[in-house]
Amino acid sequence: MIKTILLKELSIYIRNLNSVFLPLIFFFLIISIFPLVLGPDKVLLNKIIPGVIWITAILTTLLISNNFFKEDFNSGIIEIYLTSESSIELILFLRIISCWIFTCLPIIIFIPIVSLLFEIPFSSSIILVFTLLLGTPILISIGLFGSALTLGLSRNNILTPILIIPFYIPVLVFSASAIESVSIGLPYYSQIYILLALLMLILPTMPYLLKYTLEFSINN
Amino acid sequence: MNISTIANLKFFYIKTKNISLFLSIITLILFIIGLYWGLFIAPPDYLQGNSYRIMFIHVPAAWLSLQVYIIMAVTAFIALVWRVKIMEIISIQCAPIGGLFTLIALVTGMIWGKPTWGTYWVWDARLTSELILLFLYIGVIILYSAFTDKRQAVKVTSILAIIGLINIPIIHFSVEWWNTLHQGPTVTKFEKPSAHISMLLPLLYMLFVFNMCFITILLKRIRLGIFQREKNTKWAEDYLND
Repeated sequence: MIKTILLKELSIYIRNLNSVFLPLIFFFLIISIFPLVLGPDKVLLNKIIPGVIWITAILTTLLISNNFFKEDFNSGIIEIYLTSESSIELILFLRIISCWIFTCLPIIIFIPIVSLLFEIPFSSSIILVFTLLLGTPILISIGLFGSALTLGLSRNNILTPILIIPFYIPVLVFSASAIESVSIGLPYYSQIYILLALLMLILPTMPYLLKYTLEFSINN
Repeated sequence: MNISTIANLKFFYIKTKNISLFLSIITLILFIIGLYWGLFIAPPDYLQGNSYRIMFIHVPAAWLSLQVYIIMAVTAFIALVWRVKIMEIISIQCAPIGGLFTLIALVTGMIWGKPTWGTYWVWDARLTSELILLFLYIGVIILYSAFTDKRQAVKVTSILAIIGLINIPIIHFSVEWWNTLHQGPTVTKFEKPSAHISMLLPLLYMLFVFNMCFITILLKRIRLGIFQREKNTKWAEDYLND
């Protein structure tokens, strides 16, 4: 069952490679806009670029998750999920995971290259990758929750980000704090542990929450 | 008279007409007394002079902004689980009131911050979380108004309100987490409040008055919400024609 769903998701993403590459290109585009706006000052850029990478990651996950359920909703697949015998929580869980693997993981893999471009020190780069590895699944899960909330609306382009950005704040605060700690040579374990705790809290509960939200969004 | 009779929308609407008027008058009188107490009777602060008096508005408003969110989320939970119509209306109508209290807390804080801190705004944890609370309220209001089918809107908005409640502890404990510019709590220390009793008493009184304000406005808004929902029923038409 798990294998079937994962293979199906894999084939969907492979057939539609745009959905893998577009977030990556978007990410690089936004990152490269910042030096153009702020000027090529090395010291300034070096100071702010971890934050810039995090903000860009947030924008990318917002775009990825914005209309995640829309197509399935229009074609009626979600109703089939909800009425089927098999466990919808498992399906939703695997879809969150596969969405993260195919859209966020490529970005994280390319972080070392971004670090080279902006001359981020190795220690900061490592911790940036770590926080992104722990943080982006949370962002994706919350984003999918927002997408499920606004499913019943026909035009919801800017509404979903407004609803869910407040929920991103804790992840953002602890990631930024970890990166800052490492750059001034303080221990950063506590922030990483809190991020891990958030991830462990959100990943198992989110499929259930998504299920209820989808049910409420659909029966009208 | 059992609880389901009170929860009946028509019964609630007709019975609360006089209570609502009575509450408005009482609250207005209490509010004027509280303002006079805070602005004229309470002694000036030895450090901040008279500018601290805005506290009698700021602190209750900030407190209420959190309290109203909790009430909104709890009533939303009751509305989702037990499908109580009146709770749906209470939960939704809490959002604009809570947003208003948050706005009052932010604006009075900014006015107080200029003479005391020398700046209207700092990106302090507590201020930022209050701003985020405002966005949470706005999100709830916008999400509710975006749906044309209000039954569905109530359900979806309730989920958002309940999930938003996890932000409340972050706001409340942020002072201890990122202890920065905002002064620590002066009322809730259990051993010995750091505010003098002649300032603490009017503050607690204002807190009570703000709760009365909240109840008064909420009652008026609930009655409005009931009427909006039931406007096509026969009793509503009869009521209008009387």
